[in-house]
Amino acid sequence: MASQSFKDRNLLAVIGDEDTVTGLLLAGIGHISEQQKKNFLVVDAKTQVPMIEAAFEEFTERTDIAILLINQHIAEKIRPTVDKYQQAFPALLEIPSKDHPYDPNKDSILKRVQKLFGE
Amino acid sequence: MSGTGSRENIFPTRMALTNTKLRLKGAQTGHSLLAKKRDALTTRFRAILRKVDEAKRKMGRVMQLASFSLAEVTYATGDISYLVQEQAKAATFRVKAKQENVSGVVLPAFEVERAQGSDFNLTGLGRGGQQVIKSKEVYAKAVETLVELASLQTAFMILDEVIRATNRRVNAIEHVVIPRLDNTIKYIISELDEMDREEFFRLKKVQGKKKRDNEAAELKRKAELAVAAEAAGSDELPATGETAVLRNLVEDDSELSGPGDLLSSKDEDVIF
Amino acid sequence: MEALFFNVDAGFLEGIVRGYKTGILTQAQYANLCQCETLEDLRTQLSATDYGNFLANEPTPLSTSTIADKATQILVDQFNYIKSSAVSPLSKFLDYITYGYMIDNVVLLITGTLHERDTHELLERCHPLGWFDTMPALCVATNVEELYQTVLVETPLAPYFRECLSAADLDDLNIEIIRNTLYKAYLEDFHAFCQTLGGPTTDVMTRILSFEADRRTINIAVNSLGTELSKEQRAQLFPSIGRLFPEGNNQLAKADDLDQIRAACEGVVEYRSFFDTSASSGQGGEDPAAGLEDRFFVTEVHLNKLAFLQQFQYGVFYAYMKLKEQEIRNITWIAECIAQEARDRMQDFIPIF
Repeated sequence: MASQSFKDRNLLAVIGDEDTVTGLLLAGIGHISEQQKKNFLVVDAKTQVPMIEAAFEEFTERTDIAILLINQHIAEKIRPTVDKYQQAFPALLEIPSKDHPYDPNKDSILKRVQKLFGE
Repeated sequence: MSGTGSRENIFPTRMALTNTKLRLKGAQTGHSLLAKKRDALTTRFRAILRKVDEAKRKMGRVMQLASFSLAEVTYATGDISYLVQEQAKAATFRVKAKQENVSGVVLPAFEVERAQGSDFNLTGLGRGGQQVIKSKEVYAKAVETLVELASLQTAFMILDEVIRATNRRVNAIEHVVIPRLDNTIKYIISELDEMDREEFFRLKKVQGKKKRDNEAAELKRKAELAVAAEAAGSDELPATGETAVLRNLVEDDSELSGPGDLLSSKDEDVIF
Repeated sequence: MEALFFNVDAGFLEGIVRGYKTGILTQAQYANLCQCETLEDLRTQLSATDYGNFLANEPTPLSTSTIADKATQILVDQFNYIKSSAVSPLSKFLDYITYGYMIDNVVLLITGTLHERDTHELLERCHPLGWFDTMPALCVATNVEELYQTVLVETPLAPYFRECLSAADLDDLNIEIIRNTLYKAYLEDFHAFCQTLGGPTTDVMTRILSFEADRRTINIAVNSLGTELSKEQRAQLFPSIGRLFPEGNNQLAKADDLDQIRAACEGVVEYRSFFDTSASSGQGGEDPAAGLEDRFFVTEVHLNKLAFLQQFQYGVFYAYMKLKEQEIRNITWIAECIAQEARDRMQDFIPIF
């Protein structure tokens, strides 16, 4: 199904807090397309949940993104949307942020892993 | 027997029996092949699972290191986040997807592709440039780990999907296709047996009829012969011949009159 | 003569600053801070210092940036208090201190304007010390040309812009080049201003500003290695003051690698040790450039402390600001180390007293 389309996917996208995004942009993943579309979203205390969801939807629907990184504490805010997400592409990865260490028990993927082992 | 369970709507002929038997054989081979594939995939899946788990934990450490290096930058340079966000133009850090084949399943694996970019070269020019460069490297390393993890995770998702599909197929073959073919074969065999018995009975009937006709013809002929013999004068021999024929007839009759017996004697065949 | 009349105008404020100075964290207090297990502990420890209960009203998941912001706010309040009581020429001197922060703020706004962002959001990112009343006016500008005109009209930085850059430059040049060009002009101007003050102020400030200029020069030289910055451009960013000027600057402008930079710095005895890898302060010495920044900080702190040894001069105000800034950096650093559980790096801050 996706065997053809993933060839064109070569970008990484990120939804995260300021520090995470800054760091990842330093690494060089930042990309702004000709239509001024960014592949990153900075979430701070004022960012509304619908906006995060909109960005999430946008990034998951774009065809040039291979991996979507999202801070775990932000994923937590839109957990139902994240849990619903089952596609293989773009790969969704929950990453820790500076102020929120990584908790494997919250990860959508690891939850599935545990479910598989639990059965 | 043949009526229970689903079976294929097929005309019970020998030809159909051969075909169905072949199909059963095929289904069994397919089943074992698929089961083997499933086992292979599951082995791989477990290995990936373990790796995913490991990598996720490793990621925690790597990201911590990375954000610490950013703290160093902030210490030396001050807040650069806005500048960095605005200066991002084109990605220098991209990934390339390549394929890997595991038991006929195409798994994508991401490979890091870094272009030499000069996006943030001058950031921290007056102060803290070295820290910025260091942080860049640390983060690039961290992202590499993330990419690796993403490959694993994608493989995990796809394998999961494929294993489910394979499982469905194995189960379908095991619990639907094979019983169905079995039933069909049983049905055909029982139908064929039934036809055999009918044929046999018919033949016997025909034989009996023929015999009766023959005897009638014989009697008639004998009567004629007797008439002829009477006419000739001697009648000893034909009398004994007549009794033997009569006895034979009685035995035949007893055989023919018991179709139940006949069935029971052939029962093993029917049931097999 | 200077000393005779100094106290008439600035004696009170100097007293205040020297009082503030005693509030700077001591080695023992740092030791206490380093013992903290969590940021909550840190909050308690800090409340026992001159910072008082500045974090008392913060919600409990304390972030390091909040600590830094609040600490900066205290410094800003102190500064504003001093500034409001100051008369010329001290008030002018204090204005000069803020120009450095203003440059950063204006550059930030330029970045925003260049990328057609809503610059109003940026106002809160600006450093509060670099705040000036007409700054929101800069946000009205929608393109670079307008912004340039507004900067010329509205900001104290106008001379630097006028002399160094044109409106077209804002568009073409890398933002870091703009920043450093402005900073060079600022340093030179500040230096010239300090010469007019005469007396001990000139002595003290020349020493500090020379070092600041040299630090920037060396940093620019080191950081521009292997980038697209041409040597001519590089030379233009070097402030034309400092102890390295002019021969050292010339050499640095031509340097192709770290060794040549090191050689260029040989001319000044104090700078020799900066590149001395063997005396590395716990960095392992794998990269001489990595520890450089730390050594600059150490030297800066040292020079600023020296400023307090002389009386009747304005240098103490500048020195206090810089020391306090370093202290905020230290606290932030310790807080980061606690938050990110990197206790082994905690001792890397620069103690002041």
